[in-house]
Amino acid sequence: MRVAGWVSFFLTTFITVLAFQGLIGFSEQGPDWALLSDRYFHSILIFSIKQALLSALLSIVLAWPIARALYYLPMLPARRAFLALCLLCFVMPTLVLITGLVSLLGRSGVVSPLLIDVLGVDWNLYGLNGILLAHIYLNMPFAVRVLYQQLKSIPDSSWKLSLQLKFSRWQRLRIVEWQSLRSTALVLFGFIFVLCFNSFAIVLALGGGPKSTTLEVAIYQALKYDFNIPEALMLAWVQLLIAGGLFLMVSRFGRTQWLSVDTARDDWKPIPTGWRLWLMTCSYYVVWGALVLPVLALFAGVTQGDWLRLEWGALIKPTLITLGLGILSASCGMVLAYSMLSPIRQMNLLVQSRRRVMLEWLATHALVAPAMVMSVGLFIFLLPLVDIDRWGIVFVAILNTALIVPFAIQKLKPRLYQFDAQYNALTRSLKLKGRQRWTIEWPFIRPVVLSTYGLVLVLSMGDVAIFSIFGSNDWATLPWLIYGYAGTYRIAEASIASIVLLSLCALILWLFEKVQTSHA
Amino acid sequence: MLNISQLKIAREGKVLCYDLQLDEGKILAIQGVSGVGKSTLLSAIAGFVTPMDGTIEWKSKRLNFLAVEARPVSYLFQDHNLFEHLTVMDNLSLGFSGDAPKDDLIEAANQLKVLDQLEKRPGELSGGQRQRIGLIRALLRPEALILLDEPFAELDPETRHLTVKWVQKTARDQGKTVLMVTHQSEDAEQLADECLILKGAASTL
Repeated sequence: MRVAGWVSFFLTTFITVLAFQGLIGFSEQGPDWALLSDRYFHSILIFSIKQALLSALLSIVLAWPIARALYYLPMLPARRAFLALCLLCFVMPTLVLITGLVSLLGRSGVVSPLLIDVLGVDWNLYGLNGILLAHIYLNMPFAVRVLYQQLKSIPDSSWKLSLQLKFSRWQRLRIVEWQSLRSTALVLFGFIFVLCFNSFAIVLALGGGPKSTTLEVAIYQALKYDFNIPEALMLAWVQLLIAGGLFLMVSRFGRTQWLSVDTARDDWKPIPTGWRLWLMTCSYYVVWGALVLPVLALFAGVTQGDWLRLEWGALIKPTLITLGLGILSASCGMVLAYSMLSPIRQMNLLVQSRRRVMLEWLATHALVAPAMVMSVGLFIFLLPLVDIDRWGIVFVAILNTALIVPFAIQKLKPRLYQFDAQYNALTRSLKLKGRQRWTIEWPFIRPVVLSTYGLVLVLSMGDVAIFSIFGSNDWATLPWLIYGYAGTYRIAEASIASIVLLSLCALILWLFEKVQTSHA
Repeated sequence: MLNISQLKIAREGKVLCYDLQLDEGKILAIQGVSGVGKSTLLSAIAGFVTPMDGTIEWKSKRLNFLAVEARPVSYLFQDHNLFEHLTVMDNLSLGFSGDAPKDDLIEAANQLKVLDQLEKRPGELSGGQRQRIGLIRALLRPEALILLDEPFAELDPETRHLTVKWVQKTARDQGKTVLMVTHQSEDAEQLADECLILKGAASTL
């Protein structure tokens, strides 16, 4: 297994190296470092960091009270549906979200007149407002799920002890709750920051002009409009350095405590009363509404006539291609992620922290490498070697696989570490190896493997950036179809295709959730 | 014979030293105050702790450089002896090179009054029941050296007596060599042929 792990490391790193080599080799020039003193570059860099910081901070600050409400109030109605919706929001294809937000808050959006009345100023979705709204919509629900899971792992004994020691509310918050959340919140902050820092489609669609441009969009513009490779390379290195550096730092200093969830009970946790109960319940309902509104807005933009006029046959092929590509990428991504975790787990067991962090970084580097550079670099590299019109779809699958590996690793890793912490000594002592060890490990990790598979499948189905470089209309996917409809102002068709894609994503997540719970 | 000679293990800034010889088929009780290095000795014999110096020999064969899986050892840890996601019977069947001796396992479960628990998951068992399940597997595995870390800690006096007798009989019948860490002098008196009391940084039998 360890050999398979090293081969997987080689394959994923090789793709990145080829992509950079493609750009460097084509221009025969290095990055244009003179740009470092350019005011245009400074403004892009400051905006990229500002929007990512605000997005990450607001996502976590807003998620915290909701996670607490879910944890402290088990009687809240539709909690499971809410958590499922949170997952759907995180993996929602960005084009679907953008269509929903524009229908809701765009110039002729359903809620825009109300906002103008309430705020008393001209509401404009485009610019920092829209970027933050979209980033918070995607990441806050994810933060809710992570923080809620972490709160659930507080052992019953901690609450018992805090009651016995007569802790005040502040002491409970500081000594019990905060201690459990602290390191997770840091990792979460870094993760969301990196996702928002590298955000592409949202900034391109909702940025609204050069004032709100990020590094990723600037790379795209440098390549698409000016074909200025030295500029693109320089921006790419800066992005890799900042996002990669932060991610490395967070991986090094952020520790998550892997408490035994299996044995954790919550018979003794305090239940809020009075105004606290009221406030928690209200915030839960408000967020429910906020998350559902953009989805409902998709329906509001479609009349009955639009449903009847649409050629449904035109949707079937893209739907099947989206599903097929997604299944291929998700399956390969899962195999790669599990294999790459094998040497990482070994280093974790041997307490080789520095090597482990470096390997973890390498395994998840696709998260911080600019997707645009990966796609365009590989495209340029392959152009003289391969008939891209014919084989482009294969590279869509390959690049999609590389991009979902970090998500699979992040999700599988805690459960595998937990298995190792609880059972490595026991499996070794019982001399369990190979298939026998796998038959013990599989039932333990099966729920996480299934939910991770669902997650990465839906994530890979939402891609449009890679397809825009390698794809062709013969192999059009659903997101590409939505992009085409939206680009030609066929908003009703775009909304209907978005509803189909979103329903498919929801169905997949629901199915995997069902299989997962039936096996638990 | 188990021969531990000039064994030195670094632990939390201290160097723990061990010297002991134990004949095959004997039961040794290891006692001493908390933190003196009782469990560390068992971990070193099992291969989970690497010594700085010295030798661990079993039947004149050096174990020091053997992997955990290659040592003739069956180890009952202080806790985490059962896979929480498997049934008790599945847990009992692990650690045997071929088919598990189901009849022997069931007979032992019957003798130790845990027969009704075999289809349950470990989470549904009491601490004492979990400990007896772990003991059955540790003793019935086909390994010559049995290491038991606080094997009776969670048992009530009556069950304790029953379990001690079962361990003694099983070990004698199958010619097992047992090293048992215990805080209870009573266990040592009832079960052990020899007793090692660890004191300070260095101890000898």
